[in-house]
Amino acid sequence: MDMQVSAGPKVVLEGASVAYGDLTVLKDVDLVLGDGEFLSIVGPSGCGKSTLLKLISGLEPPAAGRVFVDGAEIDRTPPHVGFMFQRDALLPWATAEENINVGLELGGYPQADRAKRCQELIDFLQLTGFGKHYPSMLSGGMRQRVSLGRLLAYEPELYLMDEPFGALDAQTKVMMGRELLRIWGRYRKSVIFVTHDIEEAVSLSSRVIVISGRPGRVKREVKVDIDYPRDLRAVRKTAVFHDLCSTIWDEIMGEKAVEQAADDPAEAPA
Amino acid sequence: MWLSGWRIALLVAILAIWEVVSFTLIDPFWISRPSDIAVRLWDMAVSGSLWTNSWATLWQAILGLALGLPVGLGIGVLLAALPRFASVVEPFWMGLYSLPRIALGPLFVIWFGIGLLSKVMLVFSLVVFVFILNALQGLHEVDRDLVNLMRTMRASRFYILRRVQMPSIIPWIIAAMRINVGIALIGSVIGEMLGANRGLGWYIQISGARLDTTGVFTGLFILMIMAILFNEAIKIIEDRLLPYKRAS
Ligand SMILES: Nc1ncnc2c1ncn2[C@@H]1O[C@H](COP(=O)(O)OP(=O)(O)OP(=O)(O)O)[C@@H](O)[C@H]1O
Ligand SMILES: [Mg+2]
Repeated sequence: MDMQVSAGPKVVLEGASVAYGDLTVLKDVDLVLGDGEFLSIVGPSGCGKSTLLKLISGLEPPAAGRVFVDGAEIDRTPPHVGFMFQRDALLPWATAEENINVGLELGGYPQADRAKRCQELIDFLQLTGFGKHYPSMLSGGMRQRVSLGRLLAYEPELYLMDEPFGALDAQTKVMMGRELLRIWGRYRKSVIFVTHDIEEAVSLSSRVIVISGRPGRVKREVKVDIDYPRDLRAVRKTAVFHDLCSTIWDEIMGEKAVEQAADDPAEAPA
Repeated sequence: MWLSGWRIALLVAILAIWEVVSFTLIDPFWISRPSDIAVRLWDMAVSGSLWTNSWATLWQAILGLALGLPVGLGIGVLLAALPRFASVVEPFWMGLYSLPRIALGPLFVIWFGIGLLSKVMLVFSLVVFVFILNALQGLHEVDRDLVNLMRTMRASRFYILRRVQMPSIIPWIIAAMRINVGIALIGSVIGEMLGANRGLGWYIQISGARLDTTGVFTGLFILMIMAILFNEAIKIIEDRLLPYKRAS
């Protein structure tokens, strides 16, 4: 896997663990993200997917192990990392435009061109006419798109996306996925994409990682051998696609069963 | 419409009962009567003393608030930014806060004279703590995710203060403002009672000394109207500052 990567890896985790108090959420996670790679992460709810992204973005310190971004061990938040939170985390007092503008400002986009760029993003995200709306006036899916707009505006080198399309309907989801792939294909930034949707994971990414239930570890890695650029609708009809999906599906279903057994009060020590 | 109709009906009922009682049950020496108060208001309006006295009281309250807001906000932000320092000084300022600051009035007269300044300082000493407390509480309750998101984009502390923390404490500051409007009027009036030659507090004081109940009630009535108008003004400001709340 390392050999396929041309430049040095974008992210390296070496035996990284994260704990919240007594609760160990991630344990001994080893992971290498190649530069320009599109990696998806799936796993049962509560297994630590969001925590993994927080670890890489420097929001959560590792309890053990090390985290490298661009070859340097991270200390607080590394530069050029864009993080799209699971909940949209928009500023409630700022309009859609102003929220997207935050990404432009912090990403150092030239001031003179910000208004234009902001409008481009609004149009691109099909939010035309809603630029002056506050988040409370937007639907969940629209808020998610504004949040995506802010991420794109920041122009990161590493995209950390936590269920970015979770609130979207099936068509919009596929459409956004296609646009994301288009952007990724053009600029080849590195992406870590957390999702619950296995088909989405397989159709978009070059590699899928399955995380096990608590404590989370990398349970399985699946390489997606489908060439880019991909036609998302055509891809979904191929046999390779279906095989990969069912492999991952089985892996996760096994996980869920284990979780349930562990949570069964009859088996838990008093 | 429905609401204001009932409000006016209630007001009229209260005034009518008051008027009737003053003619039948209780001597107006004790409780005055609405018609006398109306006449007094008219006289005061004609002589101009309504405006001079009201304005004096109002101006002191406004200046005290205008001083208390930035100082309280500044101290709140400072205490929130320096938690260690905050925990060292907390018992001291909480002690000051618990002190009945009205009792500082005589001291303020000695320090600042019987003019405008002593009243403004009295109002300030009363209102500043509510601003500090609310600023602190508001900063404490800022959505951590918003701050974290800004941190992932490596925003400076000042940027986070400006774009996240300040906007999110505005509702807290407005709440403090609402509480403080009443308190500021109290401070202003008490200040006038300790020594002044104008203002509603002064007017109520001399009316009381002359056993002029109508004068006392007239002063109280004007104060009440003033407080209501003050609160309405705050509501308008609130709508301006929090368009995103109105929208939801
Ligand atoms: N700030 C926190 N403090 C304490 N525990 C936390 C915190 N954040 C997450 N956890 C716990 O860590 C575990 C993993 O949380 P995480 O959000 O990473 O899961 P996830 O895989 O993203 O789940 P989901 O798919 O539901 O989003 C959960 O059991 C959660 O209760
Ligand atoms: Mg999550």
